[in-house]
Amino acid sequence: MVDKIKIENLSCYYNKKCVLESLNLNVVKNEILGVIGPANSGKTTFLRTLNRMNDFDITYSRKGSVYLDGDNIFDIDAENLRRRVGMLFAMPIPLPMSIYDNITYAPKRLGLVTKKVDLENMVESVLRDSSLWDEVKDRLGASAMKMSGGQQQRLCIARVLAINPEVILFDEPCSGLDPISTAKVEELMVELKEKYTIVLVTNNVKQASRVSDRTAFFLMGKLIEVDKTDKLFVSPKKKETEDYITGRFG
Amino acid sequence: MIKLNPKLSQKFSYTLLCLAAILAIVPVILMVFIIIKNGASAISWEFLSSMPKGGMRSGGILPAILGTLSIVSCAIMVTLPVGVCAAIYLNEYAKDNMLTRIIKLAIVNLAGVPSVVYGLFGLGIFVMFLKLGVSIIAGALTLSIMELPVIITTARSSLGSVPYSFREASLSLGVSRWQTIRHVVLPNAIPGILTGAILSIARISGETAPILFTAAAFYVPHLPHSIFDQVMALPYHLYIISTQIPNMPKNIIYGTALVLLMMVLTMSCIAIFARIYFRKRRKW
Repeated sequence: MVDKIKIENLSCYYNKKCVLESLNLNVVKNEILGVIGPANSGKTTFLRTLNRMNDFDITYSRKGSVYLDGDNIFDIDAENLRRRVGMLFAMPIPLPMSIYDNITYAPKRLGLVTKKVDLENMVESVLRDSSLWDEVKDRLGASAMKMSGGQQQRLCIARVLAINPEVILFDEPCSGLDPISTAKVEELMVELKEKYTIVLVTNNVKQASRVSDRTAFFLMGKLIEVDKTDKLFVSPKKKETEDYITGRFG
Repeated sequence: MIKLNPKLSQKFSYTLLCLAAILAIVPVILMVFIIIKNGASAISWEFLSSMPKGGMRSGGILPAILGTLSIVSCAIMVTLPVGVCAAIYLNEYAKDNMLTRIIKLAIVNLAGVPSVVYGLFGLGIFVMFLKLGVSIIAGALTLSIMELPVIITTARSSLGSVPYSFREASLSLGVSRWQTIRHVVLPNAIPGILTGAILSIARISGETAPILFTAAAFYVPHLPHSIFDQVMALPYHLYIISTQIPNMPKNIIYGTALVLLMMVLTMSCIAIFARIYFRKRRKW
């Protein structure tokens, strides 16, 4: 059990208003950490702090530290960090270009892969890893905007895999998807944890119980409880957790 | 107070609003009609391709056409890159601070300056201070300053119409800000920027006051050799032949106006078609 990410005393603010309060949490290597909680509990803020996507918001400020393999992420270059910590958004956001170009976009820009043969191999391998290859192998040149929502989200996963990150952050990745697409994405997450460490923020309590190894419950910007998923769902220690997972509020 | 019943008042206001809208197209149609009616007889290949003759009372308007084209193309070559760069800075990088607010205020004010003031400014700075003389380059620089706020504004709105989520998707992959702009934002904003540029070209082609003191000549017996030459320009030529030359044949005046109008309208049409084309191709 090696800690991939270690969060120490992290507090986040928007316009000086505290949305996440002195958080201490760790993410173990090759696990799926589920983060659940009602709206305004600070889950997304937490997630977007891990790859510093919040930095673009001028009203945002923070205190505390987050270590990725021992490096404080606020000290390393943000672009480098985002290459190591990939992210999936709630709505699939394919770039307005072909399926092929969507995947090769970042590796080309970052100079990870340059040869055409290597690019083609890489595209096939990440599309296989995101179980999209069979559906799109004949139309790699088609616009990614014309795919279905579920396919788009898996394309976005393939796009993240293409930069070969260490951690992947999922921000409610299935909130816009139908049940079958959701099942596919969930299956994928379980397969992906072999190679990557995953943090999954979800509004769907059942989803967390299905895929995550450990689950953290956030409420009003505070971490209420974190434990092995089966433990948290069977015998939560705190009353708030029990109320939330049994659907009494939120 | 007279109280109309709802149905009647609805009809009344509908008619009023519709009439106001129709009123907007009347001058356009009238103007085009009058100019074509009086000027069409002057248009011939010779009129478009030869030098003026007989104290400009006959012959063609080639130098004026070329003069306008060269001033306008030089102007857009200066103003487009500067304007787009400024727009990228303001839209993508600038923080909301004092400097940004001053820049934005300056742009708004620049757009409100009367064109004759630009003419005098150009005379002072480019013609006299920088000693460029009355020349294509001096006129082009004057026009480019005048057009800068328009280019910046249209470019900013094209950049702003590219969804923020595209930037986020690109940035979240570790791609730098500039690469995101260069490879995601700009390609999707270019149609809008180009359309704005074409409309700007159309607008400055007809400007008279800014080139009055900076580029335009009453009469030049030869075609321009370099950008440091004085040139004849269509709008100024039109002003001269309509007011300064006695016994000017009417059809040449209207013919010249027709050529200028067609140049401007063609450019506007290209902009409209370009916009339709790009909108169809748009992938989001």
